Amino acid sequence: MNKVTIAIAKGRLGEEGLRLFKDSDMEIVREENSRKLVFSDSKGLTQYIFVKPSDVVTYVEKGVADLGIVGKDIMLEEDKDVYEILDLDYGKCRFAIAGFKNECIKKKDGVLRIASKYPNYVQSIFENRNQRIEIIKLNGSVELAPLIDLSDVIVDIVETGNTLRDNGLEILEELDYISARLIANKASYRFKYNTIKKIEKILDVKR
Amino acid sequence: MRFTTIEEELTVTKFKKAIEREIEGYFEEMEFDLIEPRIFQKYDEYVNSEHKQDSSKTVKVLSGNSRIFILRPDITINVLGEIFSKWDGEPPLKVYYNSTIYLNKEGGKILENHQMGIEYLGAEIPRGDIEALEMGTTIMNSLGTPFVIELGSSKYLDSYLKELDLNEIQKTELKDLIGKKNRHGLISRLTDYGLEESLLKDILDMQGNIKEVIEMAKEHEMNHSMKDAIEQLIKIRDYFIDGDLYENIKLDLSMVPDLDYYDGIVFKGYVHGNPNKLLSGGRYDKLTEEFGLKVRAIGFMIDMDQITAIRMGEKHNE
Repeated sequence: MNKVTIAIAKGRLGEEGLRLFKDSDMEIVREENSRKLVFSDSKGLTQYIFVKPSDVVTYVEKGVADLGIVGKDIMLEEDKDVYEILDLDYGKCRFAIAGFKNECIKKKDGVLRIASKYPNYVQSIFENRNQRIEIIKLNGSVELAPLIDLSDVIVDIVETGNTLRDNGLEILEELDYISARLIANKASYRFKYNTIKKIEKILDVKR
Repeated sequence: MRFTTIEEELTVTKFKKAIEREIEGYFEEMEFDLIEPRIFQKYDEYVNSEHKQDSSKTVKVLSGNSRIFILRPDITINVLGEIFSKWDGEPPLKVYYNSTIYLNKEGGKILENHQMGIEYLGAEIPRGDIEALEMGTTIMNSLGTPFVIELGSSKYLDSYLKELDLNEIQKTELKDLIGKKNRHGLISRLTDYGLEESLLKDILDMQGNIKEVIEMAKEHEMNHSMKDAIEQLIKIRDYFIDGDLYENIKLDLSMVPDLDYYDGIVFKGYVHGNPNKLLSGGRYDKLTEEFGLKVRAIGFMIDMDQITAIRMGEKHNE
């Protein structure tokens, strides 16, 4: 009953998350380049499942994973009913509105066109700004949108700002702070409280 | 539920009805009487009421003279509206319902959720709390699956927040962080407000065994209302501590209820292996005042769709 399943985002964020479990009971050993999606630790106490980053929250909300490691950006976009128990303090970056220098984000009478991978988040940010907007949902290369006049600005996560600079764009306004988070399913949290607290401690020390 | 054959449909319906009868029987044994909520509510009244949910989620119906109605999106408020229009507060009133709510969901579909529950008006503290909690626990226990009742007190946290020199937005933000169990977010906000040494820094640890959590709470300084809240929890502890189900009840003083009208104990029920709460309830004395009459009141609801699915699952496993 106390076996814990942790959903890990495939990619850098997840890999770094796994490193936090190193030297603990919950460490896992994986063959290089393995395509397996499910791993257990040597004692069989923890199971890790590797999923698409934007699906981590869904797995946890539906309870197939008890815990998950996911970026705050996904949390802000998905607005799911889960506990957000730790800020893991890595994968740090910011949400930002970016565009050409001097681009005005207040268009008094016109519509501000915003390209983003995060339409729900954009909606929430502009909700009380008294600005009509059009959201253009993209799945990648968002920086391209202002260059080809698909949008006026973009809302995206910015780490170093290099991609923006290389494309002649700059940050017009900084928004929410982003980092990796440990999230938990509400029912699991209650049933596996002691185990989850233990994991919380392991990760909190390492962060 | 969708069925592929009529045999399956009739079998499941029969099974579900049997569970309903069982619970109805139990409610009646506990001296609750059946009340039937109205199906249509006036849209204008609903959007102007204080405790509405997202009104875009309500299912609208147009009457012959183009007045807008909604299909009931919630039962408690609906039933209280009926009761308080014709009840003068005496003697205590115990009602139960067995009904359905309707809400819009994604893709143009309408969610029909079957709920049963009780409303106990004139429920004194702690007798009413204990009775409601015991009934909820009994129903959860009848499911034949390991379960947990999560017990909290919105009065404890709210009474503490009330004394802080913060505005409503800041308080809501703190409550949101506490409700999400977001330790670092909470600590960073508390530091911003100069509250890093306050009780709130420990609130996320105040979860678990009822007795232990109460002891933890006692180590902190409390105002009058908080002491009251803890006193009420002690009475509940004393009642359940020698019973079989004591270990199933976990106290969580950092619990923030989903509905803002609770002002005493709040509780939720989960079963192992199911991610959603099956039972939720609490004390709502404050809410009754909005219906023009302040009385002690407590209630809970159970999600019958989930209860049926769980009992069906158990049956298959036998």
